[in-house]
Amino acid sequence: MFPYEEASWSVVDGPMYMLANTSAPGWFTFIAAVICVAVLVIGQKSEAEKTKRFDE
Amino acid sequence: MEEQIAELVAQVAALEASSAGAAITNTMFAETFYYLTIPLMIIIHAGFLAYEMGASRLKNVLSSGVKNILAFAFMIPTFYFFGWWVYWAFPTGIPGAAGPAGISGLEYANAIALGWGDGAQYMGPNIADQASGVFFGAFAMFAATTASIMSGAVIERIQTVGFIILAIVLGSFAWVVAAAWGWHADGWLVTNFGLHDFGAAGLVHAVAGFFALGVLINLGPRIGKFNADGSANHIPGHNMPLTVTGLMLIIVGFWGFLMACVIVPGEAWSWFADKPATIYGTPITLSALSFNILMAIAGGIIGSWLFTRDPFWMMSGALAGIISTASGLDIYFPAMAFIIAFSAGIILKPCADWLENRGIDDAVGAVTVHGTIGLYGVVMLGIWGSGYPALQGAAGDAPTINFVGQVIGAAVFFLIGFVPGYVVSYVLKMFGMLRIPEGAEIAGMDLVKVPAHGYPEWGNKAPITAAE
Repeated sequence: MFPYEEASWSVVDGPMYMLANTSAPGWFTFIAAVICVAVLVIGQKSEAEKTKRFDE
Repeated sequence: MEEQIAELVAQVAALEASSAGAAITNTMFAETFYYLTIPLMIIIHAGFLAYEMGASRLKNVLSSGVKNILAFAFMIPTFYFFGWWVYWAFPTGIPGAAGPAGISGLEYANAIALGWGDGAQYMGPNIADQASGVFFGAFAMFAATTASIMSGAVIERIQTVGFIILAIVLGSFAWVVAAAWGWHADGWLVTNFGLHDFGAAGLVHAVAGFFALGVLINLGPRIGKFNADGSANHIPGHNMPLTVTGLMLIIVGFWGFLMACVIVPGEAWSWFADKPATIYGTPITLSALSFNILMAIAGGIIGSWLFTRDPFWMMSGALAGIISTASGLDIYFPAMAFIIAFSAGIILKPCADWLENRGIDDAVGAVTVHGTIGLYGVVMLGIWGSGYPALQGAAGDAPTINFVGQVIGAAVFFLIGFVPGYVVSYVLKMFGMLRIPEGAEIAGMDLVKVPAHGYPEWGNKAPITAAE
């Protein structure tokens, strides 16, 4: 929801992104960081399995 | 006393001169801003050209290029002849009544967007008008982009003239109607339902993607794409690196596309004299775009790499990342844009496979990347952005962004794309103007249509002839 009392941009003179002035942006940043790390972990695992086949 | 009055008069004159100077600077800035979006958007077409030719087999590489270049060329004059007029004439719907913002309707369109009569003064060089030409130019590039989205899906079996007719219907009419309804301050989807689609995820990408689907149903698959039991074969293009580079160029060009979605101060349709706005009059900054576009590109690439490991799908994922967030690039938080784009990158390939398993041969995945993900982006904003002002001013002026409004907008964009695509291609098929004959398709379209050779020194039996 719009994080200001009146649903008008005329009352906004700072952050204009969704969920501004709440803790949500921090959580989204954390989730995005976790995704990056998880993708690297999964990617390393599956790539290692594939490369192993060529060593056998 | 007289001296003080004279001093005040001088100060007022200086202020007036300064204000006039600022206005001129604003006007020149706006003109330059939009002018620069035009070559940036032409980079999109360099990208489409490269990726379509790369995705074509050797025997079709140049005919795919000819088709692509010709579509671009026909978009400009047809958008000049009637596309620009359609945008201004029908925001409130048919029959073209004037809207509350006073910049729409048949009368307004006749006055500013026709190449004859009174409107001609705004459709050619005019010393008192530094806005119309560059604004028209940016919109003409939107039109050309829309038509090119369909172009890649139909390669290697479509007739050139039939394709150009389809491109004109899509680029100079279908998406323009969608833009008038959903990308204009008087658009009925905006004023009645609170639709918000800042970066045209629905009105450009979804319309083009589902127009392509309508065409593909009538066009049919390439010979050899499907086996007798209905299973699909992969028909690799002749040059994957060219295709991937082309996709990267499209990404570059989209910075110009999205930049042109910003209404800066200093031109005839500016919302404000001192700050930029979206086409809806809501706030936007280029910094917002920088944050969110970059995060969306990254999210889309990472999401599609996770399951495909294929550079074609990774770069398509970059595009899907932008498209999935385009509706709300003005208000997403960067990490949200990343997460939404990541999800788009993940669903991209399964959606394309789903379509292929139903007998649709979309050579470059355009229906999925632009159509499905375009609608996904429009609906996503309804989920995350509900309650935000859709249009300038207080909520009372128009509904705020809401889930139902975004879904209605998505449905309308689907229909504006799919129905004309299906109907016009059906008519072309009836007249034998849609698909090339089987023999020509097997021989290769370059041999049949193009008096030149893509790679004369290998593999294509290029004859050596005397120089003229």
